Amino acid sequence: MRLIVLAMMLFAACSACAEGETAAPEARWDVARLMQRLAQVQHAQGQFVEKKYLRILNKPLESSGTLIYQAPGHLEKHTRAPKIESLVLDKSTLLIDSKASGKRRLTLQDYPLLWALIEGIRSTLAGDVATLNRFYQIKLDGDISRWRLILIPTDAKALELVREIRISGREDRVSEIETLETTGDRSVMSVTEDRVETP
Amino acid sequence: MRRYLAPAVWLAFVAACALIISRTPFTADMSAFLPRSPTPTQQILVEQLRDGVVSRLILVGITDLPQAQLAELSKDLAGRLRRNAEFTAVNNGEQADLQKDFDFLWRNRYLLSEAVTPQRFSADGLRASLTHYLDLLGTPLSALAQRVLPNDPSGELTYLLDQFEGQAKPDRQHDVWFSRDGQRAMLLAHTRSPGSDIDAQERAMHAVEAAFEQARRARPELAPARLQMTGPGVFSVQSRASIRDDAWRLSLIATLLVATLLLVLYRSPRVLALGLFPVASGALAGVAAVSLGFGSVHGITLAFGVTLIGECVDYAIYLFTRITPDTTPQRTLQRIWPTLRLGVLTSICGFAAMLFSGFTGLAQLGLFSIAGLITAAATTRWVLPQLLPAGFFVRSDTRFSAALMHAVRFAPRLRVPVLLTVLAAALFLTLRPGSIWNDSLASMSPVSKEMQQLDGQLRRDLGAPDVRYLIVAGGADQQSVLQQSEALTAILRRQVQQGLLENFDAPTLYFPSRQAQQARLAALPDAAVLRQNMQTALTGLPFRSGLFEPFAQDVAQARQQVPLDPAALRGTGLGLKLDSFLIRRASGWAVMLPLTGVKDPQALVDAINIDAPAPVLLLDMKQESERMFRDYRREATRYAGLGALAIVLLLLASLRTPRRVALVCLPLLAAVTVLSAALVLSGLTLSLFHLIGLLLVVAVGSNYALFFARASESEQEETRTMTSLIFANLCTVCGFGLLSLSQSPVLVAIGSTVSAGTVLSLIFSAALIARKSL
Repeated sequence: MRLIVLAMMLFAACSACAEGETAAPEARWDVARLMQRLAQVQHAQGQFVEKKYLRILNKPLESSGTLIYQAPGHLEKHTRAPKIESLVLDKSTLLIDSKASGKRRLTLQDYPLLWALIEGIRSTLAGDVATLNRFYQIKLDGDISRWRLILIPTDAKALELVREIRISGREDRVSEIETLETTGDRSVMSVTEDRVETP
Repeated sequence: MRRYLAPAVWLAFVAACALIISRTPFTADMSAFLPRSPTPTQQILVEQLRDGVVSRLILVGITDLPQAQLAELSKDLAGRLRRNAEFTAVNNGEQADLQKDFDFLWRNRYLLSEAVTPQRFSADGLRASLTHYLDLLGTPLSALAQRVLPNDPSGELTYLLDQFEGQAKPDRQHDVWFSRDGQRAMLLAHTRSPGSDIDAQERAMHAVEAAFEQARRARPELAPARLQMTGPGVFSVQSRASIRDDAWRLSLIATLLVATLLLVLYRSPRVLALGLFPVASGALAGVAAVSLGFGSVHGITLAFGVTLIGECVDYAIYLFTRITPDTTPQRTLQRIWPTLRLGVLTSICGFAAMLFSGFTGLAQLGLFSIAGLITAAATTRWVLPQLLPAGFFVRSDTRFSAALMHAVRFAPRLRVPVLLTVLAAALFLTLRPGSIWNDSLASMSPVSKEMQQLDGQLRRDLGAPDVRYLIVAGGADQQSVLQQSEALTAILRRQVQQGLLENFDAPTLYFPSRQAQQARLAALPDAAVLRQNMQTALTGLPFRSGLFEPFAQDVAQARQQVPLDPAALRGTGLGLKLDSFLIRRASGWAVMLPLTGVKDPQALVDAINIDAPAPVLLLDMKQESERMFRDYRREATRYAGLGALAIVLLLLASLRTPRRVALVCLPLLAAVTVLSAALVLSGLTLSLFHLIGLLLVVAVGSNYALFFARASESEQEETRTMTSLIFANLCTVCGFGLLSLSQSPVLVAIGSTVSAGTVLSLIFSAALIARKSL
């Protein structure tokens, strides 16, 4: 099934994000510090389990697989169960390969909302506070040993879809990503790090 | 009173011509290039070029600002143009453009989707679709899938959107179309009037320019923005303007130059004015004759007809410069009349052949020049001598005459070098590989190369590849051609699978025939059956109960719908697409299916015709247009050849001996050969306009050769003959040489060919025609 044009039509509604949104990093020295730590990670790999709680379903959708991150902007998500699916994000290109959607290549700029969602995760991993500020208002809870970032979209259109993204972690590692949608749907992805790091 | 009879008749004649012209319709469309009995594909091609949706497109680019500001300007400009009645649609990639189409597809999905069959709404069919949705919910497209799922679990909308998937789309930045390099915001404006209505296209262009200016002035930081526009209509407007402006400006300069030259020669403003009588009355008679013969006059005829009879300016020169203090104008005229008459007849022979052409444009040019030349010659013969002031003669400067005669006597020594040059040129032309003719549309285009390149760039950026192949099917009414399109769609799908072509588009992919719509309505189950099927399909799937209530409602509503007619699409992008491919013709309707990636066109059309309900045509836009222009040029060449033959026969009848005929023809042949070789050597390939130029060289040059070949009675007469020739040539070079400074490739081709060719004719006549020494 091909939803790309539809995706474009719906996403197109969101013009490419409010630029120059301000959240001066100096004022949040803790965010800046966290980002600095995250920015130093060159490579990370882990296993994920994702649960999607959707209003339209009477039980959660569960999937699992591998996540691979390579600094500064390369992210891969390989789902093994229940269906094999792979997402490869490199710079502004997203390659999707799954049985449901077929093989396709998307340019993020064409899909502003999807871009915002993806950048919330990728820019956090990359410690790219400038990009994060473009899309989100950032809040930080906790301390270095157990922190939680809360990202709230700044764009009105994005807010219609996503209420907030919560990313939790420990030191320079991310352990959970929770996405809360405006409709009440949510998804929780827990990540367990494979400690086989290549510098 | 007899003295005034001829001028009176002439005045009445001119008045009659003016009256006819005042009632003449002038056309400027492609019809001149249309053969009188066109093939069906040629007919469609010309209709498309003239009135088709493609002819109504204006491609707009905005550059020279940062992206965000270009996008803002693009939205502002599009908004202004959408409110303007000159345009039926303006697209710049904004959401608003897509939203209408999207809404239309969504509302009518059960009528429009080809996938609607009874099977799809059975328990099995629905279960297959629901399972698919479930998979999709795990992907990044989940949010979208959820939005449409409750209303459309059978997936009709996605099926419909899928039809557009393969089509190239422009890049988008900041919600509007941008070029691939991100430097240019792009818009497409569709004009209400056809591309052939140049006045309306000009209004539309001005509307774009005015709206752009207003948008640009709205904020100071937008001021540096630049506007670019191309498209068939824009090209017509620009070439008309450049030909008109150049023609005006250059003819004004040429007229001043020639007038100054002749004033020095004649020393009488009255005589100067008289000199224009032949050409002016010739032009009037030409237009009137074409109007009577064809019912209308084409712009091309008007533009080139006047240049074709440019030699008429020479007639007066030949007469005026020959008058001596001791002869009357009548006497002089009687003496030169045989030669002049032969020159006129020669030119008429050259042009007459065009009269029989199968192309309206050529036939009109033929008639125009014949009527024009006859009138001009008659005016020179019977009107001018009556009106010349008594005692008029041209005083020639003795030093000038001496120098001129010295040059003329020296010329025969150039015979051997000239003959060698001609031989080399002839060898070069015959031995050179490839055709010296260029029949591509681009070579015929009156638009500059830069504009053609800009147009190509804008088209590529808009992702609108040039459609080259079209399948065309005709029928008596709209519904029957839509049904044919549906049958062809099924055939073409198979051929895409077989790899005979890459992709195709068909209006019925988004607008089916009434019959197909009715079949789809009939395929929708009633509420009870649908509920039952849905319940069975959902067994064991995790969807929340009651989720698909909107689906039941939508299907029930769809069952009450009546089939749509094309008017329902008005105002949407799909409607424009439908209009471009579903066409009302003089008799009946036609549907066009654009193809991309065709490997073997003939095999494809053969394969289609085995299965098609009625035979279809394959229109190859590129080949067909090139063939048409090649035929046009070939026919012109053939008739020019016949004209040359007629000229030889005429000369033979008049000059009696083959030797004298050869003597007159040789300089002309030499001039044409050397000139063609020089043009090809300078890197040009010759177009129809060069051919017209060459014809003109022969027409003008034949007069030179005839005067050269004629023995003079005295040295004084000899001097006067040479003076008249040199002034006639100077005038021609002034007039046509200036044309070659024009912006318009057409005027440049004719101007340079004629000015260089007539100079060569004169020099070669002097060198090759042995004169009895005096």
